[in-house]
Amino acid sequence: MKNKKLFKTLLVTALTASTILTGCGSGGGSSDATSKSSSGGSSGTVTLKLFSNLPDRKTGQGLVEQKLIDEYMEANKNVKIEVEALDEEAYKTKFKAYSMEGMPDVVSIWGQPAFLDEVVDAGVLAELDQSDYTDYKFVEGSLDGYTYDGKLYGLPRNTDVQCIFYNEKMFKDNNWEVPSTYDELIALAGKIKDAGIIPMAMDGGDGWPMAVYLSDVLYKLVGSDYQNVVSNAVKNGDFTDANIKKATELLKEAADAGLFQNGYDSQDYGTAMNLFTNGQAAMFYMGSWESSMALNPDIPDDVKNNIRAFTMPVVEGGKASATDILAWNGGGYAVSANSKVKDEAIKFFNFMYQPDKLSKYGWENNVGMSAQDQSEYMTGEETELMKQIVDILNNSTNVSGTPVNDCGPSAFKTSIESEIQGVSNGSSSVDGFLKAIGDACK
Amino acid sequence: MKKLYSNKLVILSLVLPGVLLFVFAILAPICLSVYYGFTNYTGMGSFDFIGFDNYKTLLHDQAFWTSLRNSLFLAIGFICVQHPLALIVAAVLDKLGGKGENFFRCVYFIPNVISVAVIAYLWKFIYNPDFGLLNNIIKFFGGKGDINWFNYDTAIWAVLIVLVWHGFGWGMLIYYTGIKNIDPVLYEAVAIDGATPVQTFLRVTLPLMKPVIQVNVTMAVISALKQMETVYLLTNGGPNNSTQFAANYLYQQAFKAYKYGYGNAIGVIFIIICLLATVILNKIFEERDVWDVKKKKTRRAAS
Repeated sequence: MKNKKLFKTLLVTALTASTILTGCGSGGGSSDATSKSSSGGSSGTVTLKLFSNLPDRKTGQGLVEQKLIDEYMEANKNVKIEVEALDEEAYKTKFKAYSMEGMPDVVSIWGQPAFLDEVVDAGVLAELDQSDYTDYKFVEGSLDGYTYDGKLYGLPRNTDVQCIFYNEKMFKDNNWEVPSTYDELIALAGKIKDAGIIPMAMDGGDGWPMAVYLSDVLYKLVGSDYQNVVSNAVKNGDFTDANIKKATELLKEAADAGLFQNGYDSQDYGTAMNLFTNGQAAMFYMGSWESSMALNPDIPDDVKNNIRAFTMPVVEGGKASATDILAWNGGGYAVSANSKVKDEAIKFFNFMYQPDKLSKYGWENNVGMSAQDQSEYMTGEETELMKQIVDILNNSTNVSGTPVNDCGPSAFKTSIESEIQGVSNGSSSVDGFLKAIGDACK
Repeated sequence: MKKLYSNKLVILSLVLPGVLLFVFAILAPICLSVYYGFTNYTGMGSFDFIGFDNYKTLLHDQAFWTSLRNSLFLAIGFICVQHPLALIVAAVLDKLGGKGENFFRCVYFIPNVISVAVIAYLWKFIYNPDFGLLNNIIKFFGGKGDINWFNYDTAIWAVLIVLVWHGFGWGMLIYYTGIKNIDPVLYEAVAIDGATPVQTFLRVTLPLMKPVIQVNVTMAVISALKQMETVYLLTNGGPNNSTQFAANYLYQQAFKAYKYGYGNAIGVIFIIICLLATVILNKIFEERDVWDVKKKKTRRAAS
């Protein structure tokens, strides 16, 4: 009897204790997290949290970012920078969760309406002082995407130029010429196909590269009117503009002519790129950030050493010239509005953007062009491909700005990147496509 | 001990963790989902209450209906192809005996042990029109071998084959376990009566497997409705939503299109459909039970 009573008491005590301890455990965890993110403390250390969309810390831009972090911590012994890095899609999902529970101190952002509109509306980003950056050598117009109502909310990391990469040796061996008009590009597709080679590798499964292709053709059609045409269409939810329709038809014409590989509308980035780097495709439609292909040890030498680039050729009757190019400033960084260590966060942020930091290291590591003037860092030993892309940008007479898919709200971006697969493969009509993407803006 | 279990404090302390888990991990999120389904919340910042607008939009959303249709196809594929095959294979395995039984049981279950990500990429390469295994096999036999398996019209069938194949081992294992639990005496009895293997399967195995079939089919229908990860990795619903499934579409709308309110509305409809499917399936099996009892009674009365 006594034993039973003792057992009962012990059981109840154990259960109650476990419940209380569980509560204490989680409470302890959160208080620990709070102390980490706040400044000060007895030791005087400051912990900064950096939320990044560059999970690869060993190569490319992730490596550059990590170098800057290490350098900053070395120079500021009292600062500890914690990095959380996720790839783009997971990053954007978690970014949203953070916007509700509290943003990390420095974050990756995209200076495009499809991402930034909702984020700025939610008031999670700190306003920056424009006058701080007058000596930072930002390329003219590169801050536009990050500016809302005259207020600056972030800074761009890259300048992206849309390229058609091609295998120069393959072109020479087969007597193919780099096309100078859109019609020549379509005719070239036929010749390459006849030789049993895929004309152009396209990442159609993701949708956005095809939306960029549409933007490229539209820009060639309307020239400097591009931003007006697109912003009016997005604002009114009406994409029936004759030029947008023509651009869509030209995209469909290219798909029908077999410019892209069989099944392009379900193949991803890696698969499309492999077709090109394995020598199965003669061209690859992608942004200048892939110029590092020319240094990639995994690509066979006969392909790697022969990768060159050209931009979308002119469209007959279009207003843009051959040197008017589709280029924009995409990814960048911002500081959280509610950061408890805002001063230190801005200090680190400004450190990254000093002209001899992000921009210089980026150039040295062949991660493409930054949004700042990099001419003084050119050594002359860059790859032919890199030099060619720099020439394309330096010789450009006009640049377009943001591609169509990133010019509207996220719902529009999701819609166009899915619907464009349908219009190019013929499962939906051009008019149906234009109506669907217009409706997504409303 | 009996006294211990009649102590209300003990009962409460034993039940409380489960109740709390249910309330905070299941009930509260569902209630919040219903609430957000009536708003235009983007997932960030403030939002407005917009009544049934999300549900009205949903009625005319072609992609949503395509995703439901695809879930239905998958459920039919599970019930009409995967499960009959799994049951037959389980019955054959049971009779196989020895090392062969163990070997094939393992082989059939392997796809379930491999990560979904690996399975999705494996099939992506098998289906690839340029260097995929399927087209190469066709080329080997003299065909042209340039079929685009993921084209708009056939992509859903290509995806269904992967899903039915992937879940096969799991269904088979449950049936196999069920068959192993059938009393061997019954088989001996029908063997003495001179029953053929087909008769044994139809008259002994199948009726005794009914509870297992009921659980397995209900689970299959729910998993068809909840399908997300394989499709997300294989096609992400493309091209142009032709292989879209409800859970994947919900994710795209809530987290990519920043239509959190709309995503929740999809979630609510989704829960209702899952509940309805479960109730309907239970009713179907219940009716069959009642029907069986009635039939037995009639037989007894006749004799």
